[in-house]
Amino acid sequence: MAASQNSSGTSSDRTLVVGHWPHLRSRDSTAKIMWSVVAALLPAAAASGYFFGWRAYLHIGLAVATALVTEAVIQGLRKKPVTVGDGSAVVTGVLVAFCLPAQARWFVPVVAAFVAIAIAKQCFGGLGCNIWNPALIGRAFVHVSFPTDMNPSTYPILAGNHFVGNVGTVGHLPEGIQAVTSASPMAMLKQIAGQQWTLEHIRTVLDQDLPSLWNMFVGRIGGDIGETSALLLAAGAIYLIVKGWVRWQIPVSYLTTVAVGALVLPLHVVAGGEVQAVAGWHPILTAAPDLAARYAAYHLLGGGLVLGALYMATDMVTSPLTNRGMLIFGFGCGALTILIRLYGGYPEAVCYSILLMNTVTPLVDRWTQPRIFGHPR
Amino acid sequence: MGRATFRGGIHPPTNKWTADAAIETLPVADRLVVPMAQNLGAPSRPTVAKGDKVKRGGVIGRPDGLISAYVHAPTSGAVTGIERIVDASTGRMFDAVAIEPDGEDAWADGCNQRREWTGLSAETLRKTVAEAGIVGMGGATFPTHVKLTPPADKPIDTVLVNGAECEPYLTCDHRLMVEQAADIAMGLRICLAATGAQRGIVAVEANKPDAIQAMRKAIEGLEGCSLEVLETKYPQGAEKQLILTCLGREVPTGGLPSDIGALAQNVGTAAAIADAVTKGRPLTERVVTVSGDAAGRPGNFRVRIGTPIRRLLDRAEVKDDFEELLFGGPMMGKDQFTLDLYVKKGTSGVLVFRRAAVYEHGPCIRCGACVRHCPSYLNPSRLSILGESFLDGNLAAIDDSLALGLMDCILCGACAYVCPARRQIIHLVETLRAERRKALQRQREKEQAQVAQLKREVEKVGG
Repeated sequence: MAASQNSSGTSSDRTLVVGHWPHLRSRDSTAKIMWSVVAALLPAAAASGYFFGWRAYLHIGLAVATALVTEAVIQGLRKKPVTVGDGSAVVTGVLVAFCLPAQARWFVPVVAAFVAIAIAKQCFGGLGCNIWNPALIGRAFVHVSFPTDMNPSTYPILAGNHFVGNVGTVGHLPEGIQAVTSASPMAMLKQIAGQQWTLEHIRTVLDQDLPSLWNMFVGRIGGDIGETSALLLAAGAIYLIVKGWVRWQIPVSYLTTVAVGALVLPLHVVAGGEVQAVAGWHPILTAAPDLAARYAAYHLLGGGLVLGALYMATDMVTSPLTNRGMLIFGFGCGALTILIRLYGGYPEAVCYSILLMNTVTPLVDRWTQPRIFGHPR
Repeated sequence: MGRATFRGGIHPPTNKWTADAAIETLPVADRLVVPMAQNLGAPSRPTVAKGDKVKRGGVIGRPDGLISAYVHAPTSGAVTGIERIVDASTGRMFDAVAIEPDGEDAWADGCNQRREWTGLSAETLRKTVAEAGIVGMGGATFPTHVKLTPPADKPIDTVLVNGAECEPYLTCDHRLMVEQAADIAMGLRICLAATGAQRGIVAVEANKPDAIQAMRKAIEGLEGCSLEVLETKYPQGAEKQLILTCLGREVPTGGLPSDIGALAQNVGTAAAIADAVTKGRPLTERVVTVSGDAAGRPGNFRVRIGTPIRRLLDRAEVKDDFEELLFGGPMMGKDQFTLDLYVKKGTSGVLVFRRAAVYEHGPCIRCGACVRHCPSYLNPSRLSILGESFLDGNLAAIDDSLALGLMDCILCGACAYVCPARRQIIHLVETLRAERRKALQRQREKEQAQVAQLKREVEKVGG
């Protein structure tokens, strides 16, 4: 090395740290995003105990613990750095628990979280490499494995004075709880779509059999742990959207598609009173315009759509990269959801529509690749 | 109303601590080491030897090829030798001329004389610029006379003077606009004359109101010239983004600004052109911003080319406990591993940081932030994943990434800035590019070998 002046008093063998540019990075980090999602889910998680008793907390705790342990063990086996501190496993654990009814038996969340992390995430290469939303894969797995736990005939909810009461397990409803004895709101809507009902009957269902829209909005309804309170879920999601970590494109196009689909897709409505002579397919807008808005609102608030649209479909890893792609993705989720709900085999549509759209995400990404700067238009 | 800007880009903290620090001219150092590798393209060849006497403005290095530039003695004195020094831009070793100043600082014959230029032909102007050794002073160091000589079938209609200075920390262009607005305006006039362009635009980011005011005053009354205030956003000063913002034209892929009739010059380059053409002064000094949290007295300093970095650090009262030394801004500047470095024509900033910025990188979580912020509309996430797969042995990654616009990346680093996984996107893009170069080289060698083999066989048969 050339003779150097040592005027600044710096020794020539000092160590300077060399890295690649840019040397400036924003404050966002994967862990910060993941923990923010956890924080956004906390209000709904806390409220689940109010609606469903301590079993809700038990499920969330079991799912999170299983997710963390599974992730750590598998990363250890793969001889990869253990990154359970980044919060992504916690998010998966909470979301898995949110998809389960509180009266499911204790091992259901354990199995669901294990499948979510081990099969849906780590088998594909860990964070960022999975094709399908891990939480939904976990849910789908237990949905087919433990159908009685996942589709209880009654959804008990607790009155306010039973904050941490016990809802028991399937088939063993303890005394003193306020139970929604009918099927879930989604199953009721399903009946409207599936059977040849008269308009009067639809009106009766909307007026009497379904919980009030307000109760559905705040979450005082039967259902899965986390998918009941649209209010609290939306509050968390708005925080994430403002922070820029959840993009508005997916929830907006998803919810809009479902609402529009509910309004314009035809139902098998029997016209003409008692005589079941003229049966026809009508959109609810023409069949019962006064009920249309409420009917669409039930579709939006019921069946875990809010949880799915705000937290599951917006999972970064399994949704498209571009804004246009996100709009297409949300539309696809919405279209599949409403089609399955109205004409499909069973009431729960959100989970499988998102999983199906996850599958086409790489294709959507390819389609919506922006034109590169300087390339011909 | 929103300011003129482009799509994409980021808003890093600007940290322009030295925006109000007037340019301070430092006395000539005890020893100057003038690097020969000062421009994009081929390094210059030294034309002096140990013991030679030189005067300020005298040629000490001549261009070696078409894309190359003259180098001049920054002061008068004696050449003490040709040394091998580390080049701050590439980290490789190149020749440098070491000069011991005699203290007189005398100009060489014919230099530093006021000249009338208005009647001169474009050809003569370009020649003067070439002989003054002027290169792009924003940091790209592309020889200016080459830029001023567009192909005959691609006339230039607009000259842009780039005063965006979008890199955080750097303020040398800002101060130059405030203090030497008239020189910059003169440089613009000369560029217009040398290219035959009709329109001149001075483009300044909105966060420099005093520079906007000074430049507006300086170009008042100049026919066809106007000032454009741009949104403060990185990389607003990148050539392609600047042209798109001001003219609404996109430089075609693989092309040059001249393809769309535009020419962009940094404000420092414009001032240097004015110095060379009207005052007969070759490029021997520049303004350098010294800043960073390790600098006790950050500032803007006018120093001779070849000034040792240690001297600048001394002047800015840099404590000894810094970990990172950077040439250029924090977004695209290069980390240095030694202090034995010297000011070059492209040295816009010297930044020193107490704690080095070291980031743990993780897997891509496909958040899409890079896609939204890329000013070239690329998919940096995909490119970085291809880069990693190449390192894992996927040789097809080079062709795949070329199809995704590997060569269209301007390496601005906006993607890596916003990346929550702190991925080394630019590093991976550069790796892919370097591997592509190597692959092309291998291909050429293989073809040459085949041709030679054929020849031998033909000779054998023929003989």
